[in-house]
Amino acid sequence: MLKALNPLSKLCVCCVWLVASVLVFDPRFQLAAIFVPALTLVIFNRTSPLVLLALMVPFALFGFGFLSTSLLFRRESDFALRMAGEALRASPAFSAGITLFLRALACGMISVFFALTTDPGLFVRALMRHTGLPPRIGYSLFAAMQLVPDLAGEAQQMRLARAMRSGRRLRRIPGPFELMSLVIPLLAFAIRRAGRTAIAMEARGLGPEAPRTIMNAPDFDSRDGIFVTVGFLVLGLCTAAVVMSQ
Amino acid sequence: MSTSAPPLPEPAAQWREVCVAYPFAKRAAVGPVNLHVRQGERVLLLGPSGSGKSTLLLTLTGLVPDSIPADVTGEVSLFGADVGTQKPWAWARHVAQYFQDADQTLCGMRVEDELAFALENRAMTPEKIAEAVAEAMRKVGVPDEWRHRRSTQLSGGERQLVALAAILVQDAPLFVADEPTAHLAPDAARRLHALLTSDQGERTILIVDHRLDGLIESIDRMVVLGRDGTIIAEGEPRRIFREERALLQSHGIWCPAASMLDAQLMRAGIAAPFAPLSVNEALAHLDPDSAPRRLLEQARPAVEAFAASAKPSHAVRDNPALVQLSKADCAPFLSSAVLRGVDLTVQEGEILGVLGRNGAGKSTLGLTLAGLLPVKAGLRKGPPGGYAFQRLENQFTAGTVCEEILGAWPKRMSADERARRTDAALEAWGLEHLAANHPLELSQGEKRKLALATLTVSDRWPLLVLDEPMAGLDAQGAALLTQEILTLHEKGRTIALITHDMDLALRLCPRSIVLGEGGIMADGATEELLGDAALLARAGLAEPASLAAFRWLKAVALRLEPVAAC
Repeated sequence: MLKALNPLSKLCVCCVWLVASVLVFDPRFQLAAIFVPALTLVIFNRTSPLVLLALMVPFALFGFGFLSTSLLFRRESDFALRMAGEALRASPAFSAGITLFLRALACGMISVFFALTTDPGLFVRALMRHTGLPPRIGYSLFAAMQLVPDLAGEAQQMRLARAMRSGRRLRRIPGPFELMSLVIPLLAFAIRRAGRTAIAMEARGLGPEAPRTIMNAPDFDSRDGIFVTVGFLVLGLCTAAVVMSQ
Repeated sequence: MSTSAPPLPEPAAQWREVCVAYPFAKRAAVGPVNLHVRQGERVLLLGPSGSGKSTLLLTLTGLVPDSIPADVTGEVSLFGADVGTQKPWAWARHVAQYFQDADQTLCGMRVEDELAFALENRAMTPEKIAEAVAEAMRKVGVPDEWRHRRSTQLSGGERQLVALAAILVQDAPLFVADEPTAHLAPDAARRLHALLTSDQGERTILIVDHRLDGLIESIDRMVVLGRDGTIIAEGEPRRIFREERALLQSHGIWCPAASMLDAQLMRAGIAAPFAPLSVNEALAHLDPDSAPRRLLEQARPAVEAFAASAKPSHAVRDNPALVQLSKADCAPFLSSAVLRGVDLTVQEGEILGVLGRNGAGKSTLGLTLAGLLPVKAGLRKGPPGGYAFQRLENQFTAGTVCEEILGAWPKRMSADERARRTDAALEAWGLEHLAANHPLELSQGEKRKLALATLTVSDRWPLLVLDEPMAGLDAQGAALLTQEILTLHEKGRTIALITHDMDLALRLCPRSIVLGEGGIMADGATEELLGDAALLARAGLAEPASLAAFRWLKAVALRLEPVAAC
């Protein structure tokens, strides 16, 4: 259902939610910005909560950096205070840190919401049709977005070859050393791939000036209206609840 | 009233004294070349690996030097206009280009978007585009369920099929194809050749392809490039394959199977009156039912010699099992099973052919046989195997050819011993002059050799799985590799050979399996399997070109020695 929406409706709602989560410095609002998209994904997109948890790991690590920095390096924070549990939770440093931590997760969850429900090709086509994005830029953006899953596929092939040579069984998740060793070959692949894609597009007539048709670009319909209205309504309610509680 | 003949139309494509040199290269990649392709003509461009065929095609719309830097001298023109007067993208209306690698043709979109892309660039109406896309899919045989799949998620052969549909949909007056069938199953290759040549003189075709059987009959003219990138022969295919056979072979250029049979029959003094392009043509004047017995007796040793060279020199032996799959479900990494309930035993010392249409699961089965992919269900028994990947770029992990082989030795071996053995291996595989080169700098044939060298220098892998090892090789490279495979077999190595080349399977593999319909469709002697027309049709395969000679021999045996044959 969410995948059938116009990517631009989703982009608009997600951008406003992202801006709100940056501006509203309150942990309860950040929690709402995490749980509203997460629940929407689980209920309407049938996304497994485990997948969401796994996708949040890098954002949690990023957010943890904010938390630890706030606790350790704020001038007014006192080490002794931080060592006492009750007082620690009450300290402004901890409160700011936890808000920053949750903000990282909220921004991550909103981005994941957009990524999991949007086809990159349709997104680029919608941008070209409705915002006048030049095709050369649109297709470059598209090629860049497509490179990520291709890199993953290429990495699997390389890992198979390396597993064969090392005589070890292929692990589901590569270790840090294995990941490091894949960086240069994958970079070389990305450069080769980018060059090939550019030549393929040029050979098939993608030029800077000529007018072109855009097929399969999603249009707006009543579902987009409902989605945008509900998205903004929930955001307004959350913001109002936070403001009123202060 | 003028009596003079109407002026000839401008050539569709013309190269005048064209010479191309890439930056930092010691010699020109191609040229000087003088060549023209007339409108409506079908021209086949042949040449050994590295002779500059692909480069020549890239100059046609100016991609070389406009997008790929190179020093180009001479003149290239399209339909009478200098190529440089327009940008490469503007020539797309006139020239549909299929590149050697399907990834160079496709842009990574969903299949239907890939097909629509060129027509969108021409600003055609959505209705016409949708119609043209559906028609191209139907013609090429792209299933409707692929429409929403991304082209990068397809197998190598499937991608090639989509790339061809994406090019054919352009309906340009000049179609240029660089090895369009290299990764296609025989049925798809045959369909493609028929598609390319079905227009009655409307479309000009310039094609580079090593798979000649099924294509060569429709070609008007052949142009042959030599190793130095200059034209060494040009003319009608029948004449070239008969009169210039020795020259073609000395340059490592593919000839159709019929050409080899023609050579045998010529030696026997009983060749066909005109140069044949198929085995049936070569034997047409020797009909087993009506030809004089004397002629049949004269021809028989020649055909037998040809048939012997097309069959394996070794028979199926009842050796102990090396690798066994029992009720195995095979799946690509982190994906669901594509083959279910596979029961397969690979015997020690055999060469097993693995055949099937594009996307049948051949590579997945190969990786499972090698133990690189675990079975989803069922059991795999046996030692791990070595795998020569279809895309060799993923195979290599070191910075130089020498380091690649150094890394293949067991870790317990001393550094001195490794270095000594590596030098010996480089020499044995003819790679010593490339020892300091990066593996990706090598030609396709050299990469294949290096991959085999790294897999075979030590005794780590008693089973070797070779995934389409001949794809993209010239005749000389393929002959060398065939010899290497036979040498490995003589040394007792077990080999599973995944291939779309039915003649190769027949020549090397006494036993084969045919994959399809989610499992193993047939397992048996290769000659029997490839003679089963119903099975071949179901599996999307085609009989080998040489099988017609086997049939002729059987029919002649019935005529000449009916009692013994019965």
